[in-house]
This record gives sequence, C-alpha cells and structure tokens, in this order.
Amino acid sequence: MNEFKKAREDYESTPIPQELGSRVRAGIRQGKANYRRRRWRRIATGVAACFAVLVGTLNLSPTVAAAAAEVPVLGGLFRVMTLISYNASDGGINYVVSVPRLETDGESELARRVNAVVQEKVDAHMAKARQDWEDYKNAFFATGGTEEEWAGREMDVIVNYEVKSQTDTRVSFVVTLAEGWVASMEERYCYNLDLAENRDITLADLLGENWVERCNETVRAGIDASVDQEGFTLFFTPEQGGFTTVDESTAFYIREDGVPVLVFPEYSIAAGAAGSPEFPVE
Amino acid sequence: MASLKEERLESYLIDGQERFYRLAYSYLQNREEALDAVQTAVCRCLERRDSLRDEGALGTWFTRILVNACMDLLRQRKRVTFVSPEDLDTGSYEDPLPEDGALGRRVNALPPEVQTVVKLRFYEDMSLKEISEVTGWNLNTVKSRLYAGLKKLRISLEGVSMQ
Repeated sequence: MNEFKKAREDYESTPIPQELGSRVRAGIRQGKANYRRRRWRRIATGVAACFAVLVGTLNLSPTVAAAAAEVPVLGGLFRVMTLISYNASDGGINYVVSVPRLETDGESELARRVNAVVQEKVDAHMAKARQDWEDYKNAFFATGGTEEEWAGREMDVIVNYEVKSQTDTRVSFVVTLAEGWVASMEERYCYNLDLAENRDITLADLLGENWVERCNETVRAGIDASVDQEGFTLFFTPEQGGFTTVDESTAFYIREDGVPVLVFPEYSIAAGAAGSPEFPVE
Repeated sequence: MASLKEERLESYLIDGQERFYRLAYSYLQNREEALDAVQTAVCRCLERRDSLRDEGALGTWFTRILVNACMDLLRQRKRVTFVSPEDLDTGSYEDPLPEDGALGRRVNALPPEVQTVVKLRFYEDMSLKEISEVTGWNLNTVKSRLYAGLKKLRISLEGVSMQ
C-alpha cells in the first residue's frame, strides 16, 4: 500500500509532548489507587456495618465501652460514625457511599451545623452526578451511539470520609465526593473541629500569628522541589493562575502528629495530573 | 502488593506510551485531549485489570480501551457528526484525487468508525480479525467499513490483504 506510506510517515512523526511520561505515570498511579479503592470498598462496607453495630452496643456494655476507648475514633466526648453506608447500582451508576455523622454526648451546635453542611453537600453531589450521567447519555445517543455500544458503560459516584486525627476534644476529617467516568473529578472538604470550644480550628491556632508566611514558604518550597531536571513542573506559575497565597479559605486537615496539611483542589494550582496537591506545614 | 500482572501492565503501558499518544492524537487532533485520553485509558486499564483474563490479548484489550476513551472525548465535545457507513458516498468525480501529503488529512476526515478501521489496519498493522476484537464489531462489519473507507479515499483495493 504505497499510498499509505506518506500518511503513515506523517502519523509516525506526530510530535510527542514532553509531559507524556508524567501523564502516563499519573494514570498508572490513579489506576492503581482506584483498583485498590474498589477492592477496599467492598470490604469497607462490611466493616462499616460492624462499626454501626459497635456504636449501638457502646451504651449497653461496659466491657465493649472499655475496649472501644482504645479505638481512636470512638474515644472522648464525641464520635464520628457512619450515618449511612451502601453500595448499589442503578441504571449504570455505581454508588459507593459512606456519609459521616458527628455525634456528641450533649447538645452541640457545631456538630449540628457540620452534619447539616455535609448532608447538603452530599445531596448536591448526588443530584449533579445523576444530571451529568443523564447529559452524557443523551449526548451519546444524539451523536449516533448505539444501545450496543452504550451497554457496559458505567459511572462511579463516591462519597467517602476519612478521620485524619482525633483527640478527646478535637477532630479532623475529610469528606471526599467523586465522580468517575469519562473524566474523573474529586472534591474534598476538610473539617477541623474543636468540640470543647465549639468552633472550627484555624491555621492560626496551629501555626501562630505568622501562619500565612509559614504556609506560603512551605507551598513555594514544595512547588520548587517538584521541578524536574528539564525545568518541567505540573504546577502553574502565578501568571497562569497558579499559587499566590493561602488565606482563611485554604483547606487543611490535621495529621495524627498535629501537623496541619494544606489541601488544594484538583486543577486549582496545578495540572490535573498532579491530583489534589497536599503540603504538610511542619 | 505489586502483583506480576500489575508490573507487566505497567511496563507495557510505559513502553508503548508514544504509540498510544499517536493513535489518540490522530483521533482528537488536539494535544491536550490526546494526553487526557492516554491518561484516562492507562488509568482504566489498571483499574479494570481483573477483566483481562488472557494476558496474550493485552494489546487488543488496551487498544479497545484507548479507542473508547477517544470516542468518548469526541462525543463529549460533540464536534463530530456520526454518519453510518451505509450513508457514506463512495466519492464523486469532483473530489480531488488524493495527493500524498493530503491522504493523512483525508483519513482524519472519515467518519470515526471508518477511520478506526483504516488507522488500525494501515498505521498499527493490525489484522482485520484483531480490529474486530478491538472494536467489538463483527468481521464483516470491519471489512465493509474498510472497503467504504478505501473507496472514499479512492485507493485501489489491489494488494490490500483482507485477512
């Protein structure tokens, strides 16, 4: 097929972008993480069910209560528990949902507020995911996709949470809302609460009055360290809309050792391949 | 807990990345979207690795994931109109004869299903049977799409292996 010789040469001389390698590695990383998460989730649902039972029995048996005091998530004045947890599939959408709920011994305005905010975010996420899926499906058929090709397509809708650290009076947890299909997107919301003082913990509480400078130095150092030998980094420059400064709205969680870890949303200060960048301020 | 399969997949994906990018680029004609497609396909490949039963079929299995990722992106941006191959005209006398440099562009102007067959056959050297496995279309469909594409491109069928 001589006619194709030139076309094939053109095809083979397609310029390869420099970041291809890092994008492939990012894909590998995401794929591995998703694979483990899928498997872990199957197990986690069972564990969550046990956990709910455990919280229920806490009031009944002093032995269970004593044993549970050693489980960090159950100690202290309050507990973070799974309000609802299920895996289900409906019309091509796989729901993997674990919604947290903060329970306190007495009345807590803070706990009530946080639970309401979390619930509202979860509801909005579910509604948006269903709408995205519906739009995608309509576009698929409107552009000539067939039922046969559609079959087997699926979307993951994920609601999950992780308690990052907890003391008798403080808790730090992160709620993850994600959609996984053609594109995948993930939003993370961090909650750092002081239940004794009934308020949110701030970066200033943890780092002192020059918290802005300390955080900015850490982030800039982290971005500088990410530049490879060829001068390439996934982080945007400030001119491209990259990192300029932290402020009161910068999200963070508190690590087990008390160190705050700054969390930036996907695509906010770096290319999507960098995921959601985190910087511990030590 | 890196299994042997995981390692093998990883090295396959890293070794083949330039080939994957070229194929994605030929569909999308856009650098960023082609990178997205490759990353998505790589991610899906590792995520869904349990569905690959026969490791000998890795090449066709991955190509299928990649082609689907490209098709999804094309559909998402809704820039293409899908024309069924039956509606495809066979090329009128007004169509300019393909010049060497123009053939690649003419291939890219074919409807996506037809493009897929032409590219996999002539750029990626796949047999029609492999193309049928990659696309999930039966062998006769693949053949008729290839004929339609070549007719449209006004390339003689002589010497084209129909294996």
